[in-house]
Amino acid sequence: MNRLRFAPLLALALVLSFSLSACAAASRTFFAMDTVMTVSAPLAGDALLAACEEEVRRLEALFSVTEPDSEIARLNETGEAALSDDTARVLGFALEEAALTQGALDVTLYPVVRAWGFTTGDYRVPDDDELAALLARVGWTRVELDGGTVRVPEGTMVDLGSVAKGYASDRLAALLREGGVQSALIDLGGNIYGLGAKADGSPWRIGVRDPKDPSGLAGALSVTDKAVVTSGSYERNFTAPDGTVYGHIFDPATGRPAENGLISVTVVGGSGLECDALSTALYVMGPDRACALLETLDGVEAVLIDDQGAFWITEGLKNAFTPMGAYAWATINWIQK
Amino acid sequence: MGNEKVTLKGNGRRSEPLSGKIKFPIQTRVWIGTLAIAFAVCLAAAAVVWLLPGSRRVARVSVDGAVVREIDLSAVTAEGSFVVEGVGGTNTVTVRPGGVCVSAADCPDQVCVKRGWLEGGAAPIVCLPHRLVIELVSGGDGNALDAISG
Amino acid sequence: MQTKRLTRDAMLTGVALIIFIVEAQIPPLTSVPGIKMGLANIITVYAAFAIGPADAALILAARILLGSVVAGNLSTLMYSAAGGLLCLLAMLGLRRVLSESQLWVASVIGAAAHNLGQIAVAVAVTRTPALLAYLPVLLMSGMIAGLFTGLCAQALVKRMSRK
Repeated sequence: MNRLRFAPLLALALVLSFSLSACAAASRTFFAMDTVMTVSAPLAGDALLAACEEEVRRLEALFSVTEPDSEIARLNETGEAALSDDTARVLGFALEEAALTQGALDVTLYPVVRAWGFTTGDYRVPDDDELAALLARVGWTRVELDGGTVRVPEGTMVDLGSVAKGYASDRLAALLREGGVQSALIDLGGNIYGLGAKADGSPWRIGVRDPKDPSGLAGALSVTDKAVVTSGSYERNFTAPDGTVYGHIFDPATGRPAENGLISVTVVGGSGLECDALSTALYVMGPDRACALLETLDGVEAVLIDDQGAFWITEGLKNAFTPMGAYAWATINWIQK
Repeated sequence: MGNEKVTLKGNGRRSEPLSGKIKFPIQTRVWIGTLAIAFAVCLAAAAVVWLLPGSRRVARVSVDGAVVREIDLSAVTAEGSFVVEGVGGTNTVTVRPGGVCVSAADCPDQVCVKRGWLEGGAAPIVCLPHRLVIELVSGGDGNALDAISG
Repeated sequence: MQTKRLTRDAMLTGVALIIFIVEAQIPPLTSVPGIKMGLANIITVYAAFAIGPADAALILAARILLGSVVAGNLSTLMYSAAGGLLCLLAMLGLRRVLSESQLWVASVIGAAAHNLGQIAVAVAVTRTPALLAYLPVLLMSGMIAGLFTGLCAQALVKRMSRK
């Protein structure tokens, strides 16, 4: 009798422990926006994680330059489009950042990037005449955004690829927060958002890839409730027949892969969208202009690596960044705000 | 003088003939014994600390409690130096395969420089004036990365 | 009476300070941080036993303060103050149970207590518990130094009381 009385309790305990252990491993990996994404949230249910994937797919359908039905594709096709709130917000922010960075971030570079073959994988090096012709169609000031409507002149195209993943990470963080999740790690192909702190209360430890050897690390960041976005030339690049290596981050001023003295830029901040935009822009700007801009920005910290292998780090990360590997004793220049 | 009783009021060593056997009162002897044992315990502990096998191979450099560098000494292939900004001064840290030392410093006492190479053991290199500590830790403990940005 | 006391304490402070400053000029004997002879402690031990707790504390405090002004800095002050306080407490506690001839025992234990205080401050300041690895070596050096200063102080007490 006694034994039987405890049986349901035992069963309940078993079920609970199983479901808890299942929860503890809760993460979801999927392929979207041209990259692998993983959302890990120990206490989020499957439904919430599925909603995260759903959200990314929804945004991808809005922003994609290749899906013919997306708002951006329609804009590029017809020169005018009515935008949803999400697209309008992202495009508006990208234009603000373009103004802030004096065009280092330019969402209209798409024709140039396409000519180099970075959208299709058929890489080639366009000649100067072709680049000049393409650059004539480029310029963020050509984009007329008026509330929910956007217009671009003939030949100008918009690509939100440099900010889409950052915005997606913000959206997922918001979604998870609304779902009551206090600790989650969102990894959208290297665009990281550490929501809250780790389950044990300690900060997230985010590695920064070694730009010269992508299998190694240049350092590690400890962050709580922050986005971490790195732009480096290693991510996608191609080697031309003559042996020159071309990176995938383009300088709007030249129409060529940016080579302005930085080989890796990591931005840490509360907004994934801002971090994503800035990591690209700072990379293009080069060390001097990037440091000057960072000095004026509130709530944004950054780790820059220049082509000499030295760090430029904002002082706010003094206790949060640890150089590693081949960079363990690299020079560190602190950027004071 | 030589006949003075030393056992009564204790210390009479000065007046005791050098060849003579010194007798201490029982209380003093207990103190000597206790302190000798304490000393021996410290000696043993120091030996353990100093001779601890060098399984820990990551040199952690911290200033004022904050980790500024972590260097996997087993991954170091050539000697190299870097400058660490301590509190109120700088220390030049040199690493070589398996070892780390402070090769130069502008601190007043130079204790950190005299310490020489740290290649094992639990006793860290310290520069108290600059609040700099270099200790060996085992790699990977609590340092595992949650994600990689880039 | 007051004047005599003031003069005596001031003189002892002065002597301790001179010893302290002279010793500070000698480069560290070892590569272990915090190891030194602590010769100025001869005066502290003497004062604690031959004069009294209050005077000993005053002399020690004055010496530490002036010593770090003259020959050190604020961080030296922290180490000395923590070490000195523990050392004084240990010695004053032992004062009752020890006879004059066992004065060196108080000095040995006081010196060890001094090292304990020092390392506690060092761990707190650098936030590195690994510094405790130096504790055994420090205690050993403290005991040796304490024995020496203790015997000196003992001789001093004896000589002064003989007059």
